[in-house]
Amino acid sequence: MISGSRLERLLREGKFVVCGEMSPPQGADKASILKKCEYFRGFVDAVNLTDNQTAIVRMSSVMSSVFALEGGVEPIMQMTCRDRNRLAQQSDILGAYAAGVRNILCLTGDYQSFGNHPDAKAVFDLDSIQLINMVSGMNSGRFLSGEEMKSPPAMFIGGAANPFGEPFEMRIIRLGKKIRAGAHFIQTQPVFDLPRFQKWMSAVRDEGYDKQVYILAGVMPVRSVKALLYMKEEVPGVRIADEYIKRMESAQDPKEEGVAMCVEIMKQLMEIPGVSGIHIMPVMWESITPRLVEEAGLLPRPEPAPLEDPAKTEVSESAL
Amino acid sequence: MSKLSERIAAFTERHPTLYKCFLLAENAFKKPVFRCQDCGQCVLSYNAFTCCMRCPKQLRNGPCGGTREDGHCEVYPDRHCIWWLIYERSKKLGRVSKLQKYHIPVDRRLEHTSAWMNMFAGRILPLDLGSKFDEAKEAKKDEAVAAIRKQNPKPPIK
Repeated sequence: MISGSRLERLLREGKFVVCGEMSPPQGADKASILKKCEYFRGFVDAVNLTDNQTAIVRMSSVMSSVFALEGGVEPIMQMTCRDRNRLAQQSDILGAYAAGVRNILCLTGDYQSFGNHPDAKAVFDLDSIQLINMVSGMNSGRFLSGEEMKSPPAMFIGGAANPFGEPFEMRIIRLGKKIRAGAHFIQTQPVFDLPRFQKWMSAVRDEGYDKQVYILAGVMPVRSVKALLYMKEEVPGVRIADEYIKRMESAQDPKEEGVAMCVEIMKQLMEIPGVSGIHIMPVMWESITPRLVEEAGLLPRPEPAPLEDPAKTEVSESAL
Repeated sequence: MSKLSERIAAFTERHPTLYKCFLLAENAFKKPVFRCQDCGQCVLSYNAFTCCMRCPKQLRNGPCGGTREDGHCEVYPDRHCIWWLIYERSKKLGRVSKLQKYHIPVDRRLEHTSAWMNMFAGRILPLDLGSKFDEAKEAKKDEAVAAIRKQNPKPPIK
C-alpha cells in the first residue's frame, strides 16, 4: 500500500473500480464543486479534477481537489506540465498531499493554442513520464534535485494512455516507460472504437503490463451527434467508429441513445481481461454519472477494508 | 567518457575563443542537418537521428496523445508529429528498441552550450545506458525506479 487512498485499496483488493471526472468552475465558485460532488458521492470511487483542460483557465486542480474532499468525494488531482515548472509541481504536490489529496494523475497537458490563452508561454519543463518519476521519487523521500525531504508525500500515481493514437507500437513503449517510471494506475482516452481498444489491450497483456499497473478504460457519454463529430474532427488522437455516429444520427432521442451507447461500451469493457476499472468522462454533463453507473450494474459501490497495519503493507506492495 | 575526452573538454572550456569556434562549427553542422534546437544534451542517437526537441511540447520520452491518424501534429496539422517521424525512421533503421530508454528531465543550464563538449565532460548521460532498461523490464518495479534514479547526472561544472 502506498497512499492508502480509497482508489488504491479497492484496486489492490481486486475490485472493479469506477472513476468520474469533474471540470472545476471557470470562476471563484466553490459551491458549484460541492454541488457536482453530489453526482459522484456514492456512485464512483474517485473523481478526476482536471487541470485547466483544453488549456482553458479554470479553478486550480489542487484547490478543487481539496473542495472535493470537503464534498465527500475522493479526488484524483490532475497535474499537467504545461503551466508549471518542476519547482511549482513539487510544491503543489506537497501542498495537496498535506491537504489530504492521495491520488495524482500526471499528464503532459493540451497545448495552449487550443485554449483561451493561445498567447501564453508553454512551460513543458518536464514531460508526463518525468513527472511520474518525480512523484515516485518524492514518495520515497527525495526531491527531483536528489535532496531528501523530511515528511514525504505518499501519492497513488496515475498516468494516461491513448490506445487510439498513432503510431500504435509507440503507445505500448510509452506505457512501459510510464510503468518503469513508477505509475500505479493508467486511465485511457474515451473508447469509441472497441476493436482498436481490444488490439491495444492484447498488446498490453502480451507485455504483461496489465499485471504491473491497473488499467482503467475511459468512456464518455455524448448528448448529440454534433458532439461526436466534433470529437472526430477537432480532437486529435480520438478514434470514433462510424457505427456510433450512425446510431446517434438516426436516434429519435440522442440523449437517451448516448446513455445507452455509453452503458453498452462500459459493459463490453468490463468483459475485457486486464481492465481493472472504468473511468467516466462526462464532459460538462456530470449529472448523468449516477445513471450510467447504475445501468452498467456497478452499484452499490464496494467499501474497501480499513487500512491495515503499516508493517503488513510492505508485503502487499511487493506483490504488485 | 574517458579521461582523455574530459581533458579535451576542460581544455576547450578554459579557452572561450576556442570554445566559441567549436560551438560555431558544431551548430553549423547540427542546425541545418538535424534542425537542432540547442538543448545541449543530445539524444539524437536514441531517436533515429531526428531531434525530438522540435516537438511543440519538447517531449523527450515519446509522443503525446494527440498524434493524428495521418501521423500529423495536433498543434501544427500541416506538419508531421516528430515522434511519428522518429518511430518511422527507427523502424527503417532497426532502432526501435532504443525508444525504450527513459530520458531524464532536461538540464536547462546546458541549453545553448556545446552538446559535444558536455558529452566529453561527462555532464550528460553516457550513450550506452539504454541497454540497462531491457534487463530491468523483468525486474521488480521498485528496483527499476531506483535504477532510473541512479541515472541522474551530476550537476555540470560551469
